Amino acid sequence: MKSRKKMRFLDSVVTHAVLIVVAFIFFFPCLWLILASFSKSGSIYSFKGFFPSEYSLDTFHNLFQDTAMYNYPKWFRNTLFIAVMSCLTGSFLTLLTAYTMSRFRFKGRKAMMKTTLVLGMFPSFMGMIAVYIIMTQFGLINNMWGLILIYSANAPMGYLTQKGFFDSIPYSIDEAARIDGATNFQVFLKINLPLSLPIIVYTALTSFAFPWSDFILPKLLLKEKDLYTVAVGLMSLGDTEFSRFAAGSVFIAVPIVFLYFCLMKFLVNGMTAGAVKG
Amino acid sequence: MKRLLDFFKNAGKNVKLSMCLMGLGQICHGQIGKGLCYLGILALAAGYFAYRGFTDFVGLFTLGTQESDTWLGIQGDNSVVMLLMGILSVIALLFLAFCYVSNVVDAYETQKICSRGGQPAKFQEDVKQFLDKKFYKTVLFLPVLGICVFVILPIVFMIAIAFTNYGGSIVPPKLVDWVGADNFIQIATLTQFAPTFGRILAWNLLWALVSTALNYFAGLGLALLLNKECVKRKAFWRVFPMLAYAIPGFITLLGFKFMFSYGGPVNQMITDMGGTAVGFLDIDAKWIARIIGFAVNAWISVPSIMLLATSILSNRDVSQMESARIDGASAFQQFRYITLPFVLFSTTSVLIGQFIGNFNNFGIFFFLRGGLYLDGYFLASDTDLLINWLYNLSINNNYYNIGATISLVIFLITSMISLVIYTRSSSYKEEDTFR
Amino acid sequence: MKRFLCTLLTGTLCAALLSGCGKSESGDPDNAQSVQQGQTAQAGQGADLSGIYNGTLEQNVTIRVLENDTAIAEGYFEELINAFNEAYAEYGIVAVDANMDQYCNLADDGPYGYGPDVLYQANDVLMKYVEGKHIYPIPAQNLGCYDQVSQAAWNAYETEIGGVEYTMGVPVNVQSSMLYYRKDMLPQDWEATWDKNGNKIPDMVENWNDMYRYSKEIVERGEGKFGYMRSLYDVYFSSGFLFSYGAYVFGNNNTNADDIGFSKGNAEIGANVLLQQASLMNEDCIDDSVTVNAYSKLADGTYFATMTTPDVYALFLKELALVYESEGLSKEDAAAKAAENLVIADVPKLPASGDLTEENPESIPLKAMGGINGYAISAYTKSPNACLAFVDFATSYEMTMKRHAYLGIVPAREDAAQAAGGISEIIYKNLDDGNIVVMPSIRAVEQMWTPAQTFFQDLAKDAFRTSDKKYTSLELIKEGLKAVDQQIYDAIHTLAAK
Repeated sequence: MKSRKKMRFLDSVVTHAVLIVVAFIFFFPCLWLILASFSKSGSIYSFKGFFPSEYSLDTFHNLFQDTAMYNYPKWFRNTLFIAVMSCLTGSFLTLLTAYTMSRFRFKGRKAMMKTTLVLGMFPSFMGMIAVYIIMTQFGLINNMWGLILIYSANAPMGYLTQKGFFDSIPYSIDEAARIDGATNFQVFLKINLPLSLPIIVYTALTSFAFPWSDFILPKLLLKEKDLYTVAVGLMSLGDTEFSRFAAGSVFIAVPIVFLYFCLMKFLVNGMTAGAVKG
Repeated sequence: MKRLLDFFKNAGKNVKLSMCLMGLGQICHGQIGKGLCYLGILALAAGYFAYRGFTDFVGLFTLGTQESDTWLGIQGDNSVVMLLMGILSVIALLFLAFCYVSNVVDAYETQKICSRGGQPAKFQEDVKQFLDKKFYKTVLFLPVLGICVFVILPIVFMIAIAFTNYGGSIVPPKLVDWVGADNFIQIATLTQFAPTFGRILAWNLLWALVSTALNYFAGLGLALLLNKECVKRKAFWRVFPMLAYAIPGFITLLGFKFMFSYGGPVNQMITDMGGTAVGFLDIDAKWIARIIGFAVNAWISVPSIMLLATSILSNRDVSQMESARIDGASAFQQFRYITLPFVLFSTTSVLIGQFIGNFNNFGIFFFLRGGLYLDGYFLASDTDLLINWLYNLSINNNYYNIGATISLVIFLITSMISLVIYTRSSSYKEEDTFR
Repeated sequence: MKRFLCTLLTGTLCAALLSGCGKSESGDPDNAQSVQQGQTAQAGQGADLSGIYNGTLEQNVTIRVLENDTAIAEGYFEELINAFNEAYAEYGIVAVDANMDQYCNLADDGPYGYGPDVLYQANDVLMKYVEGKHIYPIPAQNLGCYDQVSQAAWNAYETEIGGVEYTMGVPVNVQSSMLYYRKDMLPQDWEATWDKNGNKIPDMVENWNDMYRYSKEIVERGEGKFGYMRSLYDVYFSSGFLFSYGAYVFGNNNTNADDIGFSKGNAEIGANVLLQQASLMNEDCIDDSVTVNAYSKLADGTYFATMTTPDVYALFLKELALVYESEGLSKEDAAAKAAENLVIADVPKLPASGDLTEENPESIPLKAMGGINGYAISAYTKSPNACLAFVDFATSYEMTMKRHAYLGIVPAREDAAQAAGGISEIIYKNLDDGNIVVMPSIRAVEQMWTPAQTFFQDLAKDAFRTSDKKYTSLELIKEGLKAVDQQIYDAIHTLAAK
């Protein structure tokens, strides 16, 4: 009994040691970026080793006040709009697709699964030329809805992950509900959806994060500076604007961290243990 | 074949009407709503083809006849747009054909029902079907449409490009032409090409395999570690990887590039301690740069895999674990026989997605070590993946046609590999395990 | 051919008829019409542009102008469009900021109607648009700046299509390399010991041999300080050393993409000069570290000198002033002291032998690579005449001087360059003397950068390799340069459709 306790203690120590190392690995570059954003000098080369020698809040002040050239608040609003809308439509479509592919058996289903898998293998930037021309034909250049359309349309391509999750929810519950007279739509809405909270949260988070940090598509489709997203705007910063870049990069992370705190409990405690598996 | 013969033998008047004009047969059967729907589709299609579809379709073959000249005010043809719109018109044509066939089949089915003395289905019933039995059709309509336009159309466009001379000095307003298999022949006969292709492909496969394994197991391991009972304040520990996840990839990459550059903080520390600066990413840094690539990629990807694994683990059957523990299974045995199969089952697709994503990971070496053409490589460097090489050829040097040709070759190879892996995976073969 | 003769004939006739018209004074809207009317007087070059510019200013139009970010940030652009809009108020012509990325590609956006009407970009970028006729030719001789702008600058914008010479853009300013150094880091007694020719200019900023000697002295003090520093991988600055010894980018005055000349002449001697310089730098010169850290390292005294373009002077000044401020000086004093100590000068002379250790060598000028930034008119504009009026206005003496005052640019106009004096005059003279190699104006120039950059990086790295040095003799360097030529050739030609 004693040795078991000892083992447990040792296990806990090792676990925490590993966690500390992992935390350090992930946190250190972030810390570097965060501190750099508080640097007093705009240049990164006046740092002592990794960190700035003097700190001030000027960069953040500049980031939000000095908007004549680099209108960060505007970029931020644009990105937020695009990301929220794409997240809503995109995750809806993805979940629906995944659910259908997991629950229904129909002709051409396996073919569809294989096709989507194969389509993902294509190098995407070659297709960018085509996407650009399609958008010019639809008149959706310089229009944020154009971006939302593309993100939403592309989102269902990644349904395989969600399908994997739905596959692991027992079909027996569905059947029980159907015997009680529920339609397929009701089964989805009333039964599967609540059980799938973790994967919904995951889907929402990823389909928010992708448009949020994407650089290529907004660069391609939004020509006007007023429509820039944060990623495009940050890349257009001048050479000596490092601390502004760092401050912008730190701030870009805020919504995702915020979302994480809001959604984490759904992610972990989605399914009450044992209630379904019985 | 026999069914087809049967069909022609038995097809009644209404079926023939449907064959002549979409929806007519249905209307004659008294299925007014459905018939009108089919008619409506036909009218829409006719309108589209009259308005531009037909010209687009013809344009697909000519790819333009009149070069534009802005100085003389001549509004000419844009071959690339014509190619794309032509493909769109083919897709529209295929859709129309699909509707047409479904219309004939439908009329035939109805005829069968009637001949057996049944009643043709009412419109409301048909609609209801789409919310129940054919729910999948309703649901998949939008995603499939979106994917057709924004995924399939660009890919078909790109495949078509491989058979044209689009690139170099032949870009709009110059007219592009079909050249058949010339591009493939050109690649095959180019002596510098094969060695570079072989080298890059080998490295690319190594990269994809190692980084997928690394990311997957690190992510899974982290999720399991955080799931342990002895870890208190899980939310706190999870924050650190989440911070990494929250910073956009390209910023991370630029940051790491700076960190490992000669003037960056890592080298500054080394020189301050009396060492000589190390060229982590410079011209001679083949393996160091590759290893940094693996590490940085893991830094970027592990948090999202951890997130996913966490959400999947929350769906794990705890009672099974409980009984296993009572039976005296060790922690490792529990992992090996219960957790791992379960996680593997529900994340095979993630693994494949990771593999594809890493295989085509453009950003990592573009940002970390772009802008080098090394000896022994044809317009590429020793850390470039195939996609980076493609970029060098097609975007940097404007050879869109060659880029498209090579991507087609690569695509055929990689899709074979991943299809074989996928169809053999348990999550594909044993989809119904948890049913 | 018949058509061409016809054009030529009408052109000559018109020129004869209109020769009475005086040269239009730039910037004056009353004369703007005469700029337009003069269109047909394109006899000299045989280009008839009346099909494009009909001579009547479009009324009530908005033209979108693409400017570079610095001009917008420093407020020059606002001044320019305000002045223009006021002058052309009676026609209802309004110039506005195109509000686009300064590096946007007209060939991508223009055909679909999303490009700007007037563009300010570098000559190699603008001339890229010629092949697809994405920009309109310009009746240069009718512009107020025609006689004032150096012929070398005009050449950068000239092109020949179907036997007719066209001018595709209007030069505004010249970009080239300049030496930046810290006056207070010169030896105390430099006038006695470092001024052999007694011309009151320190020897080390006059020729590379003395710069080498002085750098060596600084490095050998062992304080972790350096003399001359520069990121050598940067083609824009390093290629000048090859050009000085007979290399070129493309043959036939940078127009023949079949002939690539990085290894031609005695280019290897120039490359060897770079190698010698690298031996007195640290590893930062291999990648872009020096380019980005020079601002602060020159300011904190780690570097004595560097070479870069004149348009970043303000950034260097700002960094240096910040250092003085942190040492306790007031804002004004710090700015004044910075302006006093930061000197921007012509690039030093090279030894003809290429040996930086030689004493009293025969010297040759450094042929630095340069660029000519200018305006061009998009071929997708609805109002070419108004655009031309804008270009004429923006390249006038007054606006050029303002541009110089706001941004410190080097004007391509002779009168403005002389009035500005200092660096502007030097660079203008260098351009006129052919000591600035203007970036090629053909599309193939895009394929030059990566191979050349790889070579320079390899060369710089070689100075820090210990046992496995690659470039130990001039022959080996020449081999390396030939490989660069071959790579560029491959990039341009190997995959081109036959």
